[in-house]
Amino acid sequence: MDATHAVRLDGVSKRFADSYAVHDLNLDIEAGRFFSLLGPSGCGKTTSLRMIGGFTDPTEGSVLLAGEDVTALPPDKRNVNTVFQSYALFDHLSIADNVAFGLKRKGVQKAEIRRRVGEMLELVQLDGFAARRPRTLSGGQRQRVALARALVNRPAVLLLDEPLAALDLKLRRQMQVELKQIQREVGITFVFVTHDQDEALTMSDRICVMNEGRVEQCGTPEDVYEHPASRFVASFMGTSNLMTGTYRDGTVTLDQGPALPVGPRTAIADGTAVSVSVRPEKVWLSDFEPGMSMQRGVIRETVYSGPTTTYLIELAPGVTLSVLEQNTARARMEDRWSGGETVEFGWRPEHCLVLA
Amino acid sequence: MTQLSPTTTTAPAPDRPVERTRTRRGRAGRRPRVLVAVTALFFALLYLPIAVVTLFSFNSQKSLTVFDGFSLRWYRAFVHDDVLISSLGTSLRISLVATAGSVVLGGALALGLVRSRTRLGSLAGLIMLVPLITPEIVTGVASMLLFKGLGVTLSTGTVMLSEITFSLSYVTVILRSRVAALNPEVEEAAMDLGATRWQAVRLVTLPALLPAVLASAVLIFALVFDDFVLAYFTTGVDPQPLSVRIYSAIRFGVQPTINAVGTLMLAGSIGLIALALFIPRLFGRRGGLDILSGS
Repeated sequence: MDATHAVRLDGVSKRFADSYAVHDLNLDIEAGRFFSLLGPSGCGKTTSLRMIGGFTDPTEGSVLLAGEDVTALPPDKRNVNTVFQSYALFDHLSIADNVAFGLKRKGVQKAEIRRRVGEMLELVQLDGFAARRPRTLSGGQRQRVALARALVNRPAVLLLDEPLAALDLKLRRQMQVELKQIQREVGITFVFVTHDQDEALTMSDRICVMNEGRVEQCGTPEDVYEHPASRFVASFMGTSNLMTGTYRDGTVTLDQGPALPVGPRTAIADGTAVSVSVRPEKVWLSDFEPGMSMQRGVIRETVYSGPTTTYLIELAPGVTLSVLEQNTARARMEDRWSGGETVEFGWRPEHCLVLA
Repeated sequence: MTQLSPTTTTAPAPDRPVERTRTRRGRAGRRPRVLVAVTALFFALLYLPIAVVTLFSFNSQKSLTVFDGFSLRWYRAFVHDDVLISSLGTSLRISLVATAGSVVLGGALALGLVRSRTRLGSLAGLIMLVPLITPEIVTGVASMLLFKGLGVTLSTGTVMLSEITFSLSYVTVILRSRVAALNPEVEEAAMDLGATRWQAVRLVTLPALLPAVLASAVLIFALVFDDFVLAYFTTGVDPQPLSVRIYSAIRFGVQPTINAVGTLMLAGSIGLIALALFIPRLFGRRGGLDILSGS
């Protein structure tokens, strides 16, 4: 048994009534990693997390923590702690007592509890709030209490169920950075559930994208974004410009539109219906390089959003691409394209992904 | 029972917060006078008999029609009436036991009903409501027949049992809504932090329910203490609860002492219900009696 895996899910399924919430899930999570389960609501990510925590029993398969089978153990017997989506703070207890709850259950000495609670409140920048009640704290502060309450027990694995979902955008960005810092500092394995792809990309060492109870792709953030393994992953991770067509001899002829050179693909048989995807930021509107795949289209919409401008370019009737351009110092307002103009654009062939 | 509606119905009170008064002023001008009159009449009819009892409890003479000057004579008479005092003790004992019993059972039932997802569970939830709509006299007669049929001698104990049965639904209805409003993740969080299921209930769920539990206890105490119908059918000959004792006494002519007892019971009930409405505020959260106060 490989003990370096903090968490291992071995053929785990969960069936509710007539459908699978999680289907034959196999996961290996290395110790010390920031691991994200990413997917739309109902994809089975929270159910998977709950099975690791012991709140949901798998229908089939086994859950291993540090090489030990814990499938039959209740939550209080597992060396994991959870940060719940609703924070689930104990409203009748002070912040210090909330954080001390787990240590008291374990029978840790009083002086030791006081010391560790103090340290932990300092780590989450809540020293001075010890005597307050949860209700008197802001959303961000309560989130930190929930984090401190779980981390103070020094679990082998910390489970986080969309812990930032209830925060406003600015606070969420700030907490993303903080969470990541804290994770590095304490070195505990984080299993983080989110439906927000930006969050997963910025925080994770590894991302596992789930859909309809199954794993679509596991990999580093870069892997998952740059080399999506499926149509679903490509469309879920950011904007993808998915187009459908037929592959033949190194080109994909779009159902409506031109043929795009994509290079030879030995894995794909001629005549196969495929999707192609080009990320908006991989499309060039000027300063072209030799060897680029060049296209012409009509600007349909110009969306200015501060640091970037997004153009919607009609490549062919019914095929519109989203193209992202940086608003650098050199790019002047009057240089920007406007609606109705025909433009030339291009991308490097390797940035045109073919998805079966 | 009958004292519940007047004390919990909100009359147009003068001590509203400032902002609300301002928004209300416009509408108040258009409020038909006839509705105000009807409301006034309603409260007058409701409280007039009670006011008469209270007034004559302070009468210095024995007359029940002519008020002859203020005195505490009938209160003194009550304090020295051993039979009435012992009945008061019996009533207090019955109320305490019935309150404790119905709060424990009703609390457990509320937890079970909310958490049970079976068909049997929802059926139990419906059956639980039946005592609320059954006429009390039916419950009373039925309890008496049951005890007779089982060969149980009627006593203070049988009153306690019937009162627990009767009060159970009230406790359950009040607590069930509170249990349903609890965040299930909080109990899970306790288990996540090393508590067993039972410890999680004891350390996290019960404290969260405490205000509602106390409020329902106070309410049940007040309901049971002045209950007559159930007590009448299920009590033994001696000792008798206060309400039954008063009824027996009245049959031999109304003594003004009864006015004094009635006034004291009224004051006690109002005090308890005020307490029940006030307790949740002590804990800084919305009350367990939301259903009853209609807020």
